[in-house]
Amino acid sequence: MKKIEAIIKPFKLDDVKEALNNIGIKGMTITEVKGYGRQKGHKEVYRGAEYFVDFIPKVKIGIIIGVEQVEEVIETISKAAHTGKIGDGKIFVLPVDDVIRVRTGERGKEAI
Amino acid sequence: MLPSELRAKRDALEALWHEGLSGQALLTKHTELIDSNLISSFTSCETNTSEMALVALGGYGRRELFPFSDIDLLILYRDCGEEQINQAAEAIFYPLWDAGLEIGHGVRNKEICLADADNDFFFQVALLDARLLVGNEEVYTDLMADFQQRFVTSQRREFFEKMVSHYRLRHERFGNHSYLLEPHIKESRGGFRDLQAMLWSAQVVFGISNLEELENNALLSPQDREKLTEASNNLIRIRNRLHYISGRKNDQLFFEHQEEMAEAFAYRTTKSILGVELFMRDVHNALQTIAVTTERFFEHVTDVVGLTPPGKDDKGLEKGLAIRQGRIQIIEPDLLSNRPHLLMRTFSQASATGFPIHHRTKELISNNLELINDNQRHSKRMARAFIDALQGDKALHVLTDMLETGLLSAFIPEFEHLESLAQHDIYHVFTVDRHLLQTVTELNLLKSEEAPIFEGLTSSHILFLAGLMHDIGKGTNQEHSKYGADLALLIGKRLNLTKKEQRDLAFLVRHHLYLPATALRRDIEDESLILQCAKEIQNPNRLAMLYLLSLADARATGPTVWTEWKAALLQSLYLKIAHALEHKDTVAPSQEQTAQWMRSQVANMLTDVDFEPNNLPSDYLTTFPPEEVANHIRAMQGKSPSHISMVESCDQGDHWQILLIAKDRPALLSRFCGVLALHNIKVLGAKIFTWHDGTAVDMVDATSTLGNEYADQDWQKLQADLDRALLYQLGIPHRLHKKMHPTGRKPKLGTGKHSSTRVFIEPDGSDKYTIIEVFAEDKPVLLYNITRTLLDFGLSVYRAQIGTQADQVVDAFYILDNEGNKIKDAKFIEEIRQGLLFAAS
Repeated sequence: MKKIEAIIKPFKLDDVKEALNNIGIKGMTITEVKGYGRQKGHKEVYRGAEYFVDFIPKVKIGIIIGVEQVEEVIETISKAAHTGKIGDGKIFVLPVDDVIRVRTGERGKEAI
Repeated sequence: MLPSELRAKRDALEALWHEGLSGQALLTKHTELIDSNLISSFTSCETNTSEMALVALGGYGRRELFPFSDIDLLILYRDCGEEQINQAAEAIFYPLWDAGLEIGHGVRNKEICLADADNDFFFQVALLDARLLVGNEEVYTDLMADFQQRFVTSQRREFFEKMVSHYRLRHERFGNHSYLLEPHIKESRGGFRDLQAMLWSAQVVFGISNLEELENNALLSPQDREKLTEASNNLIRIRNRLHYISGRKNDQLFFEHQEEMAEAFAYRTTKSILGVELFMRDVHNALQTIAVTTERFFEHVTDVVGLTPPGKDDKGLEKGLAIRQGRIQIIEPDLLSNRPHLLMRTFSQASATGFPIHHRTKELISNNLELINDNQRHSKRMARAFIDALQGDKALHVLTDMLETGLLSAFIPEFEHLESLAQHDIYHVFTVDRHLLQTVTELNLLKSEEAPIFEGLTSSHILFLAGLMHDIGKGTNQEHSKYGADLALLIGKRLNLTKKEQRDLAFLVRHHLYLPATALRRDIEDESLILQCAKEIQNPNRLAMLYLLSLADARATGPTVWTEWKAALLQSLYLKIAHALEHKDTVAPSQEQTAQWMRSQVANMLTDVDFEPNNLPSDYLTTFPPEEVANHIRAMQGKSPSHISMVESCDQGDHWQILLIAKDRPALLSRFCGVLALHNIKVLGAKIFTWHDGTAVDMVDATSTLGNEYADQDWQKLQADLDRALLYQLGIPHRLHKKMHPTGRKPKLGTGKHSSTRVFIEPDGSDKYTIIEVFAEDKPVLLYNITRTLLDFGLSVYRAQIGTQADQVVDAFYILDNEGNKIKDAKFIEEIRQGLLFAAS
């Protein structure tokens, strides 16, 4: 099993969710996250007042899937989240040792 | 009685409940059941219990035993040995424990009881509800007499003070967001505890212990008592069910129970509102009734027992209104019939002075609402007072009072159906009416937090009105912002707002979700989106109000809605639109005036030059500063008509600026673009103008595709090639083709977006011109191809905005056909579209 963690632009969330649903991925966790990366925060001046935000708002999607689905999921997310501009995001693939469903005690792929 | 028997009886009780036994009747029945069980345990006890009494306390003492409530018991003894007491306690408590009941138990003699009551206020209060179940009556009355003497008769004032402070503390503890969404029937504001706190206080202060006597002693009006009884009965039914469906002592109306409850109580979903929302509205109304009535009772008693602070701030405010004992009062109620606006002035004074309104005055207002007729609703005086009341640090208190006295809905009848209207999701923690009050409160906070934006507003009172009304269209089956805007327009008219203010108010209500929705769901890096927003919002004042309203609305919705994360998104959208509006890319309200001013400026600079100011079109003049226009004119000065082109370029740091001025001729633009592509220059943006005498002025922002420095570029060669091209001596297509595919290598790995080429043609896109927008993947030859295609169709480009962003180009061309007309023919439009799609992909 693998965990896919994708950091994407917030307005792309609906597109990505829909694309994942279309390939049968229904369960995911979605978190609002703050990015401090290459795409720096910015300062703006408007009518004499300074506005400063030191992070970029991003959305993180977490999905646990079987190994055989990894490439399909990566491709789906990449396609749906793509704008071609800076800050489109990143996708991480992490190994997952085990999954336990608390209610039933099921383990492994059954519990995803 | 055996535990199994007790269990069976309680099961039977539940069965009765299933058959419809509920409310007070169920509580009484339950109490009787436990009573008889305890009496039998006590009397059948083998120990000598002659010097003991079994006493019921708290809710059980009041005979209000809910299905899973604790059973509070006291074994009161006199002169008994330890062994004897233990045996009695075992005989009485064990069967209850074994039957699975929760028991609050105590074994005390009189002295311990009194000492405990002294130390523990809650035990003291529990003793107020003491009821002898069985046993030695003298032991019981002996305790109660001493208790009465020590804690009631001589302690009325102290007891009341403590009770009030617990009452306030509890509201604070159970007042937070989670309890609004999922009210605690017992402890929340307006829950059972409030009712009991009132009754306990009445018992200690006045020796009265039920609602009927309160009414008889004029401490409660008949209407209030009726409302209170109904509210209490509603909550009893709900709490019974809540215990049974939770299967335990649960007094909080959790989200997951709400729908089930609504269904069980036969609330039906209608076209415009969910059954569960109707149910929750009744729950909130019941809590509200109890909260308001008990609050007034406590304020009244505070006066009676002389706890009100001395009136050092006493002063008159205006005719009929004064501050007395730190509270605003209508001191001459007789004035009201002639001066009904005093009702509203009470609130504007509360806002202005920060003093609370006296409870009697609130009651007076509630009882005089019929004075608010249609005349009053159209009165300027009322409107002014109303608008003043919205603004101030204490706005939440002032508006809550206005809502709870009923004045708000009397003055704005559209508000009435929002009262206690719940929205069944985990997102909106407040009912709609409270949310609106909360929004106004947030706006008052933003006044200092976002002072720079606030200070720029031309009419901030419109913003406060919008805060109060933005959800006024909820609870119907129509789109709430649209319907709300219609209502706001009517209300604005009634409030005697100016036409412009009415429009602004309706606009804010209509669009109160526009900024957050855009910030979250659209790509705010997209310049055309920002321009579209700017066009929609029209001016900086509206934008500022809309932004502040969005912030206040989100902050007033619930703790999960507003995060720093969303704030950052919304703020950058706001700033982008603000900048767009400042640059006036979309609006030029007085373009002709500006143009005239420019003409005179330019004429002043060019006193030595002979030129015709009216030769310069307005849109051109409003795009460049006067010095630059003067430069353009000088550049063309003295050039013979045969002179074909002139290029000026300069380095702007991160990009270059290239100026082309030439007598307009067919294909001028496409040739210019082609030559630039040949010279590895990529166009970032372009402005294209034509003077009335046919001189074309093209200003291009560009960079090198090779990363060349400005000085490295061969500008002379560019000028020479351009001259040749305009004299029809340079073959551009074959040169470009060779240049782009010198080795026949595949185009560099793209983003797979070939299908994203889109062409939109708006025949009436602007006043004078048809607008063509082309979205395509960025390629060096793109601009050349597009402009050549336009030429093939005989279209003249009058103005163009060419935006290149990452790998996408968004070009907008303002065009007319070769006879100077807009393009109207649908077939021709489709033909152009297909031609451009082909050229661009």
